[in-house]
Amino acid sequence: MCVLRLRDVSLGYGRRAILEHVDLEVADGEFVALLGPNGAGKTTLLRGIVGLIPVMAGTLEHTVDRRTSPLGYVPQRESLDPTFPLTVFEVVLMGTYARLPALRRVGRRQRELAAQSLDLVGLGALAGERFASLSGGQTQRGLIARALAAEPTFLLLDEPTAGVDAEATAAIMRVLTRLNREQRLTVLLVTHQPRMLQGLASAVFWVQDGRVTRRRVEEVMVAGA
Amino acid sequence: MSTVLEVLRPGFLLRDALVASVLIGAVCPLVGVYFVLRRMIFLGVALPQLSAAGIAFALLIHRMTIGPHSHGDAVDAMLARGGATLFTLGGILVLAALERRGRQIVEARIGMVYAVAGALTILFLAADPWGEAQIVNLLKGELLAATEKSLAFLAVVLGAVILAVLAFQKEFLLVSFDRDLAVVFGKRVAAWDTLLYVLCGVTISFGVLAAGPLVTFGFLLAPPLTARMLTRRMLTFSVASAAIGAVSAFVGFCAAYRYDMPLGPSEVAVSAAVLLAVAGLRGLRRRMAVPRPA
Repeated sequence: MCVLRLRDVSLGYGRRAILEHVDLEVADGEFVALLGPNGAGKTTLLRGIVGLIPVMAGTLEHTVDRRTSPLGYVPQRESLDPTFPLTVFEVVLMGTYARLPALRRVGRRQRELAAQSLDLVGLGALAGERFASLSGGQTQRGLIARALAAEPTFLLLDEPTAGVDAEATAAIMRVLTRLNREQRLTVLLVTHQPRMLQGLASAVFWVQDGRVTRRRVEEVMVAGA
Repeated sequence: MSTVLEVLRPGFLLRDALVASVLIGAVCPLVGVYFVLRRMIFLGVALPQLSAAGIAFALLIHRMTIGPHSHGDAVDAMLARGGATLFTLGGILVLAALERRGRQIVEARIGMVYAVAGALTILFLAADPWGEAQIVNLLKGELLAATEKSLAFLAVVLGAVILAVLAFQKEFLLVSFDRDLAVVFGKRVAAWDTLLYVLCGVTISFGVLAAGPLVTFGFLLAPPLTARMLTRRMLTFSVASAAIGAVSAFVGFCAAYRYDMPLGPSEVAVSAAVLLAVAGLRGLRRRMAVPRPA
């Protein structure tokens, strides 16, 4: 089953299209990546998919109802303000707001969900720490935990390994692999590093010159991307 | 101590002023928390100024339609309240719309609002010379002249603000901390932003009328800035801000009563002193924690 389908989609900012005639499909349980040179439009495509920028032309369809199955979204960590007095647990708890209507308070179930999500990414022991005090890799895992607290079936990540060291990158990829293989979570991530996708991603969407093409991971690696 | 016991006496003459002080001291920081976190501190200066322009405008309308002003006129007070609320809410909603469109630098927009509001206040007063004395009274903040009726009205309005801030805390936090995530979750970000701004606008316009722009601005900022140094959780940050604001207002009231000083400035001075003391102690603790070189 297909969870995401784009047909002849154009995306951009204002009236300026960055990407045009994009056709793309992601199957349920698949692990795919958006790759391409800097400034090619990978993040624009991701922002379009999650609904942060409007579609200028074409059709973008999530086959799962987003009200009953919200997207798990992991933004670039620099987009979050470190001055907010928030613990790791409080940030992760925000993921549960996806399914909580206004006036419904956070309850035991939401707290349990947040705690489980933190354990899944190996950050259970840091729940009470200030979110801003985490290292780059820990912050990313915290944001993955927040996305998981929304109980998504589709996880989308914007450069989760950017600016983190090799060890932290490996830890993040281990978490994503486990989620994809054991929990059948569909994963789509934006990255600059094709090497880390080897043996993990089923396909790569190569973004360049305003177009998107589906390729095999090996193909991208041979091309020396 | 005897001053504290005296002001807490049931029959204390200035009881209404004390309650109004503590109420404003507690509620302004509760919305001020979002001013600090969303880096909109200058809005705390611009909006009270806009509120003043609204009062001047209302007084001008009064002069043009009804006639000369008289001190303590109920119609004047009602018009002033309406003008302050209208201008503050109008300004905050325009700023929110501009923020969504992302045009110009935030500080530039807020600075322009301050300049325009200041200019409008003077222009409205120039057209209504009789209003000048009236607006000086209104903007001084007539906390000491608070009556049972005006206090009840203030309590109802600010009570509603407290309830709304607490009821929608998770929505306000989400749109303030991670706006993109709120959009991805399908939340009505523009509506939540607008509601938060409306609550800020109502608090400021009623705060300005009850206590003046100085006290309102002081309590919007000083208690949250103090609480931010002491807390690490959002809920305790909000509660501590309100508590610090309320206690500062109470201590400021007692000091003003004991030493016969102006009320508003005394309250602001106490909240600033608390901020400086906490910042100083924090700095000292940090310095002591750093190991000295051998």
